[in-house]
Amino acid sequence: MMTISPSMSHKRAVLTPNNSSKVTGRPMGNNGGSVSNKAFSTPKFDPNNGFNPEIDEGVSFLGTSGGVAGAPGVSTTKKPLSLADKLRLWRHDALMQHHYNTAQYIGDKVLSITNDPNDAFWLAQVHYQQGSFLTARNLLRGDQFEDSLSCKYLCGLCLIALEEWDEALDVVGEFNPYKMDEDVTDAVDFEDVDIDNYTDGGIKLEASMCYLRGKIYMNMNNFDRAKDCFREAVLADFKCYEAFDELITNNYLSPQDEWELLEQINFDQADELVKLLYSTRLNKLAHSSKFLENEQKLQDEYNLKGNNDLNLAKAELLFLQCKFDTCLTVCETILKDNQFSFNTLPLYLSCLYELDAKNKLFLVSHQLAEYHPNHYITWLSIGIYYISIKKINESRIFFSKSTMLAPNFAPAWIGFAHTFAIEGEHEQAISAYSTAVRLFPGSYLPYLFLGMQYLQMNNLTLAYEYLSNSMLICDRDPLLLNELGIIYYHRGELSKAEHMFNRSLEQAHNLKIDSKLYYSIYSNLAHVNRKLGNFQTALEYFENVRKIDSKDSNIYASMGLIYLKMNKIDQAIQTLHIALSISPNDTISSELLNKALSLNMTIGYENLLNQDVDALVRRLHEGSDEEDEGFADD
Amino acid sequence: MNVEQYFHLSSILRQNAILLEELSFYQGSKWLLEAVNSMQQPSTEDQLMVVREAPHLLKLGKESSSPSNEEEMLLAYHETNKIKLAKTYFDCKEYDRAAHVLKDCHSWKATFIKLYSMYISGDKRKEEESDGILGQNNSNNNFYCNKNIPVIVKELETLEHPNLNSNSHLLCLYGIVLLENKNSTKGQEVLFKSLVLNPFNWSCWLELLSSFTSFSEATVYLSKFHKALQNAFEYKIMLLFFRLTVNQVFFQSSEEINSDLATLSAIFPCFSYLNAQKALIAYNMLDYNNAEILFDQILLSDPLRLDDLDTYSNILYVMEKDSKLSFLAQFASKIDKFRPETCCIVANYYSLKFEHEKAIMYYKRALTLNKNCLSAWTLMGHEFVELKNSHAAIESYRRAVDTNNKDFRAWYGLGQAYEVLDMHLYSLYYYQRACSLKPLDKRMWQAIGNCYEKLGETKESVKCYQKALKISTVVDTQLLYKIGTLYEVLNDIKTTYNYMKLCFEEEYNQEVTEDTSKAKLWLARYESQQGNWSFTYKLASDISYGNSNIIEEARALAREARLKLDR
Repeated sequence: MMTISPSMSHKRAVLTPNNSSKVTGRPMGNNGGSVSNKAFSTPKFDPNNGFNPEIDEGVSFLGTSGGVAGAPGVSTTKKPLSLADKLRLWRHDALMQHHYNTAQYIGDKVLSITNDPNDAFWLAQVHYQQGSFLTARNLLRGDQFEDSLSCKYLCGLCLIALEEWDEALDVVGEFNPYKMDEDVTDAVDFEDVDIDNYTDGGIKLEASMCYLRGKIYMNMNNFDRAKDCFREAVLADFKCYEAFDELITNNYLSPQDEWELLEQINFDQADELVKLLYSTRLNKLAHSSKFLENEQKLQDEYNLKGNNDLNLAKAELLFLQCKFDTCLTVCETILKDNQFSFNTLPLYLSCLYELDAKNKLFLVSHQLAEYHPNHYITWLSIGIYYISIKKINESRIFFSKSTMLAPNFAPAWIGFAHTFAIEGEHEQAISAYSTAVRLFPGSYLPYLFLGMQYLQMNNLTLAYEYLSNSMLICDRDPLLLNELGIIYYHRGELSKAEHMFNRSLEQAHNLKIDSKLYYSIYSNLAHVNRKLGNFQTALEYFENVRKIDSKDSNIYASMGLIYLKMNKIDQAIQTLHIALSISPNDTISSELLNKALSLNMTIGYENLLNQDVDALVRRLHEGSDEEDEGFADD
Repeated sequence: MNVEQYFHLSSILRQNAILLEELSFYQGSKWLLEAVNSMQQPSTEDQLMVVREAPHLLKLGKESSSPSNEEEMLLAYHETNKIKLAKTYFDCKEYDRAAHVLKDCHSWKATFIKLYSMYISGDKRKEEESDGILGQNNSNNNFYCNKNIPVIVKELETLEHPNLNSNSHLLCLYGIVLLENKNSTKGQEVLFKSLVLNPFNWSCWLELLSSFTSFSEATVYLSKFHKALQNAFEYKIMLLFFRLTVNQVFFQSSEEINSDLATLSAIFPCFSYLNAQKALIAYNMLDYNNAEILFDQILLSDPLRLDDLDTYSNILYVMEKDSKLSFLAQFASKIDKFRPETCCIVANYYSLKFEHEKAIMYYKRALTLNKNCLSAWTLMGHEFVELKNSHAAIESYRRAVDTNNKDFRAWYGLGQAYEVLDMHLYSLYYYQRACSLKPLDKRMWQAIGNCYEKLGETKESVKCYQKALKISTVVDTQLLYKIGTLYEVLNDIKTTYNYMKLCFEEEYNQEVTEDTSKAKLWLARYESQQGNWSFTYKLASDISYGNSNIIEEARALAREARLKLDR
């Protein structure tokens, strides 16, 4: 059936412009054989029965299907073509060369002659490709082609295009009829028969149907069902990348589940490549080392070095590690090949935002708006630009536009929620994040953000709940661990907090993260240790913090406090001076300084000074000391 | 120093100067070359004799770094081109470009120039972002910093080859960056390591010096150097220079400093730097006359050298030599109008003429030219004090302290400014800081005593005044009287009596002052309370100096005593 992707088989001729006048590009390998369903396995419906004979030996694209068709003798013997077959060939060539009118005209005639569901299917295909979804649906609807699964499938596709969800579900069916029905697959004897000479079976229609079902459920906002359907699709046939992609890009699965799924998928032995490729799409946080290993293998053994999708996967990892600079360069190499690679753009835009590259954001947004004015990523880009120049209202408008164009697009939702969070409108932010939670059940981020909002609202219980939820999905994000630590800190459970921060630090090291995150982890650790009374440790952590950013007055104020507690008045005063030189109006620092100064008055370092001076004085007035001593005796 | 030593030392200094120049440490390079050119040459015959026997001495030493294999050699060969290009960019002030050219280079020199360019570029940007001298933003929430520093630190810390710990120049840069990041302990250690490896980087010594906050800190490092540095002749020379400078900067005056000076002067007889140190030491000892003479000599021997002349103008200012100061200002302006030193001299001149606004303008100009100009901040603070603008004065002093926390005048100024604002806790601390820098200056102790007094800590106050008394060379009657009154506050009349008596007795040793009169009056009053009217009369009638109140009261007392005695 319709393996429309040209990449399907290296054997097949590909439609290239200079490919002889006799365009043979019928890529539709239509090998009904791939189909694991009855409809196609019956020779009667075999779409190729018509035209394969004509093919000369050289063009083997039908070779694959030859076996399939199982049609006895079709491809091997030269039999004169029937009228219908001639017309079919004509129709096909027309379709391949995008002569839709011809294809439509001839297809119609064939159908009239044969009334074969297969011909109906191909005619509908022509309509579909022309964008006449309604016509296609009308053609396929009805009882006469009910038996043909491929017709059903195309009908479903049309209905999805028409956004007639209920009807589509009606056609596709609410459940997978072949599920659990072992016989179905077995019944198709093709696997048994042809397994030797026929290794590439195309995508099982069953999987495609499941995929359609998932798509429908997704649009009906029934995400649980959608997830199940997509899973079913991938499990039915690993080649159904479409379904796999939906699962991953929409974050339907938690990182753990994603890896489990990968294990469950039934890859043929020969398809290590596919397994490796799929593994690069999964969440990198959970298995970063495994990812690197797989990536290396793909590069070394499969010569995929420099492939843009691999690059993208690498960029994703870099982004997680907060190596924004490097990530940006990788993204830029991808974008050099394909300026508007919509897979890459969200990552690229986030990178630009993190690096505060307003100017580039501006340029990219404008380019996008010029070439893709109606694409959701365009609006996302503009939204990010506005948020980066701190025009929150504008950015919110653009984010919401983006979500309207693509209601399932996670970055836009998160950005939308962020605009509220930035302005401190916690309630609205929470409701926006909650939408994100609903849409992307497998992503821990919305939970994390929700937790952070509640934390800001000082609602520790709810914050804890959400963060724990987040932990259930992914327990490796240092940011998350850090936030949890903060909750423990606020609850006064200091040792737990310290433990969390240390875990966070450990994860950050594991991921080789490189960012400001260390800043907050270290300063949190420092604060915990300060509260625990481990002043020296706290100070060491503060030194680490200072290495990263030396212009935060709070750090100096806290250090000053510690010095005060350690009774190192002089150092306290000096540190507090630095704090005040950074933010002169900081009341805490100035109060601390006042305290330190009054302590300085009573104890100070005057003792030390006195000794110093005594020694010096003695040295200076070696001889004249006596009279001075006289005064002192008085 | 024999002839071989001469050649050895001069070629080492010159080689290091060339290297420093390649690394864009211009000041260090200049200093070394000045030193080389001011060395005492052995007689020509001796030189010829030695050179005939060992002609290699005259050769310019080639760099000894020879890469171990061809691959590295090739790499070095190609990198050299890039390094030269980057260096040219650096000299053309295109710092970012210089760093960019060396993006993928790995040799230590390339790394150094790249990171140093980044450092300078960040510094430049910081300056551009800040809002001028004492601008609006400086006092607000903005605290400008060099944004490239975290990147530089990270690159240095993750340097792959084992270069960092064995390369003095990279270590030096690392130390500089750490100091800029206010991480002085670590920075000092790193600079120390760098200098032990290669003590000929004068810029590095100066950086280390600038990080010391107290003399004791400096002495710790001095002794560390004594232990760690190689025992070779040339290494010792560098350490001597450092020790001399440390002693000068921290106002030390001991035998050590003089012997060091003598040793060095014998080797580098016409080194202006040494002569300037001599003058500065005299100035620190408040020996203005000598300092003036020394500076005059420098002006003759090295007439176009502007360094340190701002200090000379300070001396002339204190000595109130208007005409000479005016001459110096004209002279400096002719050499280079836009040197911070020149601006400071001119500002000093205006200050002496009571044109404080103009003086401030010139200080600001000096600071625009060099934000770290040491004295300009402090002097500008003084001008603001003259104009009664305490807040601006505080800001200036603060910046002075930030750039050079060894300037006791700035700390003292801060104390004074806060005293005006009646914030005695603050001024106490600042006076303490000043005092720790100059513990032998009685003004410091007096100021601290005064603060304690204001804060109601009379006992502490007494201690401070006593300390001040101890270190003053001539017995200060004012202090004696002060201590006396403080003991009175403490209700210790006996001690008060003793101090008053001591104060009064100074009248015979020195001259009559208001304070002795006051002491006398107190004594008279005391005697009157005791009923010793004859003493009272004797003392009171003797008071003839002081303001009208004192004299009035003395007369009244005398009259009363007279009456009592008559009765």
